[in-house]
Amino acid sequence: MKSTLPVMLGVLVGCYMVVEYFIPHYAVRDVSAHVLEWGGIVAAAAYVIGGINVVQVTWPKIRRRESDWGYKVVLLGSAAIMAIVGLPWRSMTGTTREPGWAMRLAPSPELVRSHRARVIVEAPDDVITSVGPRMVAGPKIVTIDPGEIVLKAGRRAVGYDTFEGKISLREGDVAVVAADPQMAWGANGRVRTWLYNYIFAPCNATMFALLAFFVASAAFRAFRARNVEAALLLGSAIIVLLAQAPIGRWITTALPHLSDWILDILSNGSRRAIIMGAAVGAIATGLRVILGIERSHLGGDA
Amino acid sequence: MAFAIVIPLYIPLGLPIKPRPMTKAAFNAVEELNAGDVVLVSMDLDPASTAELEPYYRAVILQLKRKGVKLAFTTLWYQAPPLVERWLRDTVDVPIAPGGTPGYTGLPDRAYVRNQDYVYLGFREGKQNIILGMGADLPHVFGGKTDDGTPLEDIPWMKNIHGLSDFKLLVLVSAGAPGAKEYVQFAQNRYNLRMVAVTTAVSVTDLAPYYQAGQLLGVVAGLAGSAEYEVMVGRPSIGVEGADGLNTGHGVVIIAIVLGNVAFFASKRAKRKKS
Repeated sequence: MKSTLPVMLGVLVGCYMVVEYFIPHYAVRDVSAHVLEWGGIVAAAAYVIGGINVVQVTWPKIRRRESDWGYKVVLLGSAAIMAIVGLPWRSMTGTTREPGWAMRLAPSPELVRSHRARVIVEAPDDVITSVGPRMVAGPKIVTIDPGEIVLKAGRRAVGYDTFEGKISLREGDVAVVAADPQMAWGANGRVRTWLYNYIFAPCNATMFALLAFFVASAAFRAFRARNVEAALLLGSAIIVLLAQAPIGRWITTALPHLSDWILDILSNGSRRAIIMGAAVGAIATGLRVILGIERSHLGGDA
Repeated sequence: MAFAIVIPLYIPLGLPIKPRPMTKAAFNAVEELNAGDVVLVSMDLDPASTAELEPYYRAVILQLKRKGVKLAFTTLWYQAPPLVERWLRDTVDVPIAPGGTPGYTGLPDRAYVRNQDYVYLGFREGKQNIILGMGADLPHVFGGKTDDGTPLEDIPWMKNIHGLSDFKLLVLVSAGAPGAKEYVQFAQNRYNLRMVAVTTAVSVTDLAPYYQAGQLLGVVAGLAGSAEYEVMVGRPSIGVEGADGLNTGHGVVIIAIVLGNVAFFASKRAKRKKS
């Protein structure tokens, strides 16, 4: 039963997903939409299992002070920090407060005479408030035409709450708009955004940028015309490299044409063969799973 | 290598940039759109690939906004959401090239309003499953809401979007898997989608067969392609600046190959003489 049930489920769902491709009925599509949704849920759950697995693998190595245990501390510490700052603490602890408010005051006779209305903005210096079409920074007094005024306020930095509202003003009306958006926590919170922008993104880009140095070093040390095949590879690589940058066209207009021929005919032809081969292999593997012949995904003893 | 890449950023070579057919085809596919058409932009990338893909993204968003199309953004990469949010703030919420922008020859664009002119659907985990799900029932995949919780039903032009086939064009900003290749393999033929893609230079050979087969209407190849696209849109910017570094960087690699081979044959000859 331990292995039969998963195999039966695999056969059932696999067959259904193949058959539904050919049945354009909404009821069939509804069921497959649910199956795909389950797939998404399982994929998301895999992150949780992955997280538990990382702790299970690295924690004993840290405890035993195995080689490079310091890096593992950094790994666990970084993961913990990102997880903590990614939680919506304020809504979890119930400490959320309104980012702003607007209130009408007594009308001013002077403004009635000039057919205008006035909005007094009370906000810290780093808060940008838009009062209808006007945008002001910090505390200001704005005189505008009466009507329904759209109000928006947010801090210059990202990761803070924003205030949005409307107020209806008649001629002579005076209103106060106060905004003091709080720092947000969670996926779009200030700390997580800062860590992403100033630590993760530069580190990630640096790793990719190092590729240029590896390529230059590898080109010098390993790219040798040891035989005819290697010489052909070398020649093609130089032509394509030159043609992929604007300098190729500057040297001679024949280079891009030659490069296009190499890529469109030789490279694409072989790439297409690889794609077709991989597709046939995927169909064969899929059939083996659907028919219950392939069971390695169920574990070693299945 | 470091000098070869950094110096041209300060002392530009200014070599002419001529768009390739693949880039022109991608540009033309966007030009065929009409005001009010709805376009899906799938941002499947991480910060590592921004140097190659960001110039194209900025150029194509300017082109799309100039055309007056409605935009829906999503991502299949878990590393992408903060980057996407930042790019939306920098390029969609504000004009990229307002009137009077120096060096810009095209029509000015305007600031798009969130949930009015564009929506950000957010990230969903599930890779190919999500592509298939979006093909069958897109609102269901995103729980009927945008990333900020606005019901899709409240956005008039999103009411007509039931699946991927309802978009006039898919713009795939793709740094790897899942990305443009998976969109082609899992959804293009099934839903008869019109798609253009930008990818990193190393992945271009993966997508070129699909362009030849007509499954991708156009492919923009890495930084060089992005620079070509900027020239076509009429706003040379970070892509054109980076293309100079590409010239000198490729030059250094070729010099390294030649020098390595000269040393190889010289040592071979010396060995032969000794024996």
